[in-house]
Amino acid sequence: MKKLRAVLIQTPLWIYFVISVYPLVWMISYSLKNNDEIFVTNPFGFPTHFRIENYTAAWSQFNIPRYFMNSFIVSSISTLLIIVLALMFSFAIARMRWKFRESVRLYMTIGMFMPLQVIMIPLAILVRDFHLTNTYGALIVPYVAIGLPFSCLIFYGFMKSIPGELEESACMDGANIYRMFIQIIVPVVTPAIATVAIFQFLSNWNEFMLAYILISDEAMKTLPLGLLFFQGQYSTDWGGMGAVMTIASLPMVIIYLFFSEQVENAMTVGSAVKG
Amino acid sequence: MNRYLSNKKAIALFLLPALLIYSVVIIYPVLQTVYRSFFNWDGLSTATWNGISNYRDLLEDPLLITSLRNGLIFALVLAVFQIGLGTVLALACADPRIKGRKLLKTSYFIPVVLSVTVVCQLWLAMYDPTNGLINRLFNLLHIPYQQNWLTSPTVSIIAIAFVNAWQFMGYQFSLLYAGVKSIPEQYMEAATIDGCSKWMAHRKVTIPLMKETYKFCLIVAITSGIGAFVQMLIMTSGGPGTSNYTLTYMIYRYAFMESNYGYACAVSVVLVSLSLLATVIINKTFDRNEA
Repeated sequence: MKKLRAVLIQTPLWIYFVISVYPLVWMISYSLKNNDEIFVTNPFGFPTHFRIENYTAAWSQFNIPRYFMNSFIVSSISTLLIIVLALMFSFAIARMRWKFRESVRLYMTIGMFMPLQVIMIPLAILVRDFHLTNTYGALIVPYVAIGLPFSCLIFYGFMKSIPGELEESACMDGANIYRMFIQIIVPVVTPAIATVAIFQFLSNWNEFMLAYILISDEAMKTLPLGLLFFQGQYSTDWGGMGAVMTIASLPMVIIYLFFSEQVENAMTVGSAVKG
Repeated sequence: MNRYLSNKKAIALFLLPALLIYSVVIIYPVLQTVYRSFFNWDGLSTATWNGISNYRDLLEDPLLITSLRNGLIFALVLAVFQIGLGTVLALACADPRIKGRKLLKTSYFIPVVLSVTVVCQLWLAMYDPTNGLINRLFNLLHIPYQQNWLTSPTVSIIAIAFVNAWQFMGYQFSLLYAGVKSIPEQYMEAATIDGCSKWMAHRKVTIPLMKETYKFCLIVAITSGIGAFVQMLIMTSGGPGTSNYTLTYMIYRYAFMESNYGYACAVSVVLVSLSLLATVIINKTFDRNEA
């Protein structure tokens, strides 16, 4: 009886496990098949032999390396800038003493509640007027601004909990405020930096809407954007399409598998802050 | 120490870069959107003031009704699927008898980290009427429910909403799971000692205590339903016809395809107001239950 109940509790969990994972398994498996195998002989099962040629064709015929590089450049520069700017901002808000810091903090928080769609139109015009269209800057600048509110809140929470003695002793030792920031505060908040870094990198890497509106030049497209292009090109070659999608997904899945704890923490911390 | 920490030059230096980029890219455009919604403007030539007539036109625009209806359906699918099913999964997964918890949690979350383009393409393939996984599976199970999933005006919005619900299930699940885990075990023990069944105890103890989690999950589900866009764009281009339009899709079309920027700004203002309204209502409802 007890056993039966344990099985009953487990059942929905494993059913959803299949719903969650099987589409991906299916994608990977059809990336190794040809059309005949996908449509007629073997639609559900694992491929009988691995057709690596789908992958070599996908890699060599299309701009995948280019898209990868664009995504990597945009995501890593934005993430780096977000971290530096948010650390400085949060330090001034959380540790330094001045009059309007509470209002400035609230002003920054507003950004977390603004749906991105509301800035879409003026942003497109702003990017055009600053002659940033089809440059990395067209994405980096907005991504930095969008990432700031969340990151500042995370750093703010962390910095608030640092005991004042740390700063006092640094002050006694004659370190100026800049040295104290770099040599005392930044090392102490390293765990928060890791959380913010992973979270922002993931969201910048996968951002679609703004990239779609702000980038039209083939050479500047990021991965999510470049993948759209394959829809038309590969409509008759499912294996090739599957290969492209698998190549595009693997890096993020691997990063996630390595840092799953931090990624999920970042998500839940974010919700605590917003709610 | 006080003088040290109120070094004006240092404060300005730390503060200004972030404040500047945030103000120019977020706050200024928000104000611009509101301001421009009162103009007739094509994005290039001089704008002419036309008061509230953008909003008046909007009231008569049949796309607005379609978009609002779709946003509502989208939000509903997200809420029911992610929060309803997510709760069942989170409660089951928190049961100490469960083995392989780490594997389960990780695999629920994997779709969240995928690019939305990949997920949409994948589901395009799965929904394919002749070769797709879904229709074949129904065929295999002898369920006579073959559908043209994405070309039927009634089914497609739900099919598309499901793609979003599927992808971000893992996100809502981890929030709910964290919520369940944050409740002290003594509460559950006390309830079971008082003769509650496990299920009853969850209904009477766990779920009411997770109010804050539910509040946040609901806000996420509703606001992302109202603002849905990418799935429609990639999977059906807002179609069949205009039947899958959403508010964001309207903004996109009027601004970037028809160069009617003033009108698109008015739609943006409606979108933001609805999102904020939904947030306020959810907050108020949850807080009233407390009293």
